[in-house]
Amino acid sequence: MRRVVGSNYATSHAVMRARVEVIAAYPITPQTQMVEHIAKFINDGIMDCEYINVESEHSAISAVIASQAAGVRSFTSTASQGLALMHELLFSAGGLRLPIVMGVVNRSVGSTGGIWVEYNDSMPQRDCGWLQMYVETNQEVHDMILQAYKIAEDKRVLLPIMICSDGFILSHTVEPVELAEQEEVDGFLPKYEARHSYLDPKDPIASGIVTPREYRQEFAYQIHRAMLEAKDVIGEVNRDFADKFGRDHSGLIETEFVEDAEVILLTLGTVTSTARGVVRELRKKGKKAGLVKVRAFRPYPAERIAEVCKDARAVGVYDRSVSFGVGGPHYLEVRNALFDSDVPVIDFIGGLGGRDVAEADVRSMYDVLLEAAKTGKAKRNIEWVNTRGVVLG
Amino acid sequence: MKEIILHGRGGQGAVLAAQALASAAVFEDKYAMAFPHFGAERRGAPVAAFARIAEGRILTKAHIYKPDYVIVLDPWLAGLVDVAKGMEGHEGTSGGVPMGSVKTDICQGLNKKGAAVLNTARPPDEVRLSLEVCVGTVDATTIALETLGHPATNSCMLGAFAKTTEEVSIGSIEKGIMDVFGERLGEGIAERNVKAAKLGFERTEVGMCSGGREFPAQKKWLPDVDELPPGCAIRSQDTEYGKLGPGSTVQNETGSWRTFHPIVDDEKCTYCMLCWFHCPDGCIGRVPDKESVSVDYFYCKGCGICSEVCPVDAITMVREVEG
Repeated sequence: MRRVVGSNYATSHAVMRARVEVIAAYPITPQTQMVEHIAKFINDGIMDCEYINVESEHSAISAVIASQAAGVRSFTSTASQGLALMHELLFSAGGLRLPIVMGVVNRSVGSTGGIWVEYNDSMPQRDCGWLQMYVETNQEVHDMILQAYKIAEDKRVLLPIMICSDGFILSHTVEPVELAEQEEVDGFLPKYEARHSYLDPKDPIASGIVTPREYRQEFAYQIHRAMLEAKDVIGEVNRDFADKFGRDHSGLIETEFVEDAEVILLTLGTVTSTARGVVRELRKKGKKAGLVKVRAFRPYPAERIAEVCKDARAVGVYDRSVSFGVGGPHYLEVRNALFDSDVPVIDFIGGLGGRDVAEADVRSMYDVLLEAAKTGKAKRNIEWVNTRGVVLG
Repeated sequence: MKEIILHGRGGQGAVLAAQALASAAVFEDKYAMAFPHFGAERRGAPVAAFARIAEGRILTKAHIYKPDYVIVLDPWLAGLVDVAKGMEGHEGTSGGVPMGSVKTDICQGLNKKGAAVLNTARPPDEVRLSLEVCVGTVDATTIALETLGHPATNSCMLGAFAKTTEEVSIGSIEKGIMDVFGERLGEGIAERNVKAAKLGFERTEVGMCSGGREFPAQKKWLPDVDELPPGCAIRSQDTEYGKLGPGSTVQNETGSWRTFHPIVDDEKCTYCMLCWFHCPDGCIGRVPDKESVSVDYFYCKGCGICSEVCPVDAITMVREVEG
């Protein structure tokens, strides 16, 4: 069924179709509608699910950790301060290997900040043992919620996953979304069966106990290995989804014009759409520009990035967050992926606190890249885009 | 550099003793360090502390594996008390050997030219360890009860260490105790501990022990990454390493933690069950035939609450003796 909806509705609908049985979430702008839509589905009797009202995000994540540990498919969602408040429990969800799915509607955290998009809520959570995927459209949010359960519940993975969508730019923008029918989803996503962690009074387990130093390191290695295996699983689930639903989101990364590209820009989230327009325009002008949409931040597809960028003469990275005194978190990943390359890698920090990233901003990034490709050097490695008093390039 | 391991029980002050020993060495213009076996320890449970003494700066931050000296604050820890006696067939045991047995081979890794300083009433030639080694012995529990009123044997054992090893003088030990104990516990208590250290120094006998004693190898569950259940979700199970998962604490022989044990006089007992009600570890059982109570010595930590609450003085706390 095709309807014009925002990403909060698209997410909620997908959660209903995934036959999620427990939800605990606390409202926070710009995620609030997600909580409301799901509550309405349950109230209307079209969704069979336990909705646990909680007093905070800390309690929300605690509740879904418990329900998922009891063998029940669970969902939560949050943004910004709410995700920060969940922080300590995120490690528990990852450490207990619980395939919880969380909808993160990205919004800046703390002072100075507002209610608009920035990735300084989700990116600092990168080491909690959660997968993180960033999306570009409302359709993709919907589709990734369905894929997320299949990825997270795969026995090679068994890790929680965040589906990160840009606050307001997706949550409060309506666009056409093909909402999946129940039979279609049932054919794609089987009922959740807990294999490893299932709280059953008849067969008790000890779970979440203090892990002395004789054991902790091996558990950490298991999570690291599962995260690496998730790279294959994300690709497999994408292909399976594409076969059944006819929509292919390309797995870990999606590329445009990279084959013969001299300069490549790597983006995350909605800026990708704007960059698609700019790169097509540059191609028409004969500029050899390419674009990579990075979909997975954890696990980070370093090998794929290195392969795609191997013949480029300059690589740019878009960052919607800052690791102060160093650069963007995404930039650090790319530098790591291209550690043995001599090609200039330039970070473009912009769009912080929801500042608009328009075509002119993306064009200025490509201008800097084309210049670096010509000279073989970056003037500066960290560039701030559309920042008053700071000159770009 | 000399490396020292202190074996004790939570509450006996092994960590404080290690710090006082380091302080004593520094009073002699040496360099020293002391650290605990960073654990989530409880009063009574086996603990370890470490100390190093050297002429110059010590670089290593690792644990000690090959000590020059060991100090054992509690006679049970060296296997000098057979706590397994009469415990055969207890549900927390495996093949008659308590899984939580505190019999530790304290000579493990010990420098053969080093020494073991032991809290025991026996003279050195009546001590048998895995290694034939120099030992210093002193009945530190008795000294601690005399001087401090409770069995914190740490300060007394520092005196015994000075006598046995001559690595630091008893004068420096006294300064170290005044420095570290004084800071933590006040001058009055520090002075009583200095007295315990002096008595320990005076009463310590030094000689060679006999060796060749075998300690049952304790198998530890150390699964590799492919054997560990994801998320540490462990089912209740019996393994060659003992019990794992829910219910596995039954094998924790907390009875080995005590210095005193309760003895019930069936004649005096009125079967009022106040002791049963107050026992924090559920170690009091009903014996309806005798209209009296029993004590589960496998778990009883010897706290003495039962004796305190008994309205007819039917429960007496009796000092454990070396078997």
